[in-house]
Amino acid sequence: MIKSIEELKQIRDKYKDVLQNREAEENKIRILVGMATCGIAAGARDTINAIVDEVHKENINNAVVVQTGCMGFCYAEPTVEVRFPGKSPVLYGKVDAERGREIVRRHVKKGEVISEWVLKG
Amino acid sequence: MPLRMELLVCGGTGCQASNSNKVLEVLRQGIKEANLQDEVRVLMTGCFGFCEKGPIVKVMPDNIFYVEVDEESARKIVAEHVIKGRIVEEKIYKEPKTEERLPEQSSIPFYKKQIRIALRNCGKIDPENINEYIAADGYMALARVLTEMTPEEVIDIVKRSGLRGRGGGGFPTGLKWEATRKSKGDVKYVICNADEGDPGAFMDRSILEGDPH
Ligand code: FES
Ligand code: FES
Repeated sequence: MIKSIEELKQIRDKYKDVLQNREAEENKIRILVGMATCGIAAGARDTINAIVDEVHKENINNAVVVQTGCMGFCYAEPTVEVRFPGKSPVLYGKVDAERGREIVRRHVKKGEVISEWVLKG
Repeated sequence: MPLRMELLVCGGTGCQASNSNKVLEVLRQGIKEANLQDEVRVLMTGCFGFCEKGPIVKVMPDNIFYVEVDEESARKIVAEHVIKGRIVEEKIYKEPKTEERLPEQSSIPFYKKQIRIALRNCGKIDPENINEYIAADGYMALARVLTEMTPEEVIDIVKRSGLRGRGGGGFPTGLKWEATRKSKGDVKYVICNADEGDPGAFMDRSILEGDPH
C-alpha cells in the first residue's frame, strides 16, 4: 500500500520513462535512424538499440528515437539524423553502436555537433 | 532493454467491434516472427475518440496514426513500418476535402479543435497497469488532498474551480461536497453507479475502460 506522497512520487519517477515514447510531441529532440534494407544490412539495428539504451542510461527525457526508411545514403549507412526543435537537422554517417552512444552523450545531451562524422551532402 | 517502439491498439468498444482484437494478435504475431519482441511492444489502450475510423493503431514515438486497420494492413504495418521504417500510406487518415494524408493525430481536423481533459490518458496508457497511470501523475492530487489539505480547503478550492457534474444538471461539485460534509452521521457512503443508460452513449464508459484508476 502507498502511504505517503513521497512513495507515490517514487513510483511515478520509476515508471516515468515508460511513457516517454508515447509523449513524443513535436517539441522533443528527435533522433532518426535509417532502417532501410541497406541500413539494417550495415548494422542499423545494433545502432538503434544502442542509442535507445544510451538515452535511457543518460536519463535524457526530452528526446525520442525514431526509425526511418531510406535516406538515400547507402554508402554511409547506418545513418543517424539528430533534430533539435527549431534547428536544422544534422546527419551522421557510418554510425555503429559506439558512435551512436557518443552522439547521444555529446550531441543530444550537450548540444555539441561531432563534425568529423557529419555527412556532407 | 528499453523499448524503442510501441504500437498502441485501440481496445475501446467501437474498435473491438470492428475487430481490433484480431489486429492486435496479428501485430504481436508479426513482431514475434521478426524476433523484435524485446524492442517493440504492442499494447491495448482505451478509446481514441475516433471510433468511426477504427480500428486505430498509433505508432510511437514515430507519432503515426493509422485508421481502419484490418488484419491485412496489420501485417503490412509490421513488414513495412516496424521492420523497414516505411509508413503504410493507405492507412493514414485522408482529409476528405483536400485529399491530403495526415499522419499525425494532432493534425487531423477532428482532433485539432479539442483539448482532451478528462480523457487525456485514454489511448495513451495501458488501462490495466496502474503504474502507467501513476507515471502520468495519477493520484497525485488525491495524495496532496489527503496529506496536505483540510477538508474545508478542498471544498473551497473545488468550489472556486467551477467544477461541475458532467450530467445534464451540471451540478456544482463543490456545493455537493459541502452538503455531504455538513450532513449528519459518522459513516458516509459513496455510491457510484457508473452507468450510462442513454443508448449509444460513450462518455463515462470510455473513461472507465481507458483510464479506470
Ligand atoms: S536503401 Fe540505402 S539509402 Fe536507400
Ligand atoms: S473505440 Fe477505438 S477510437 Fe473509439
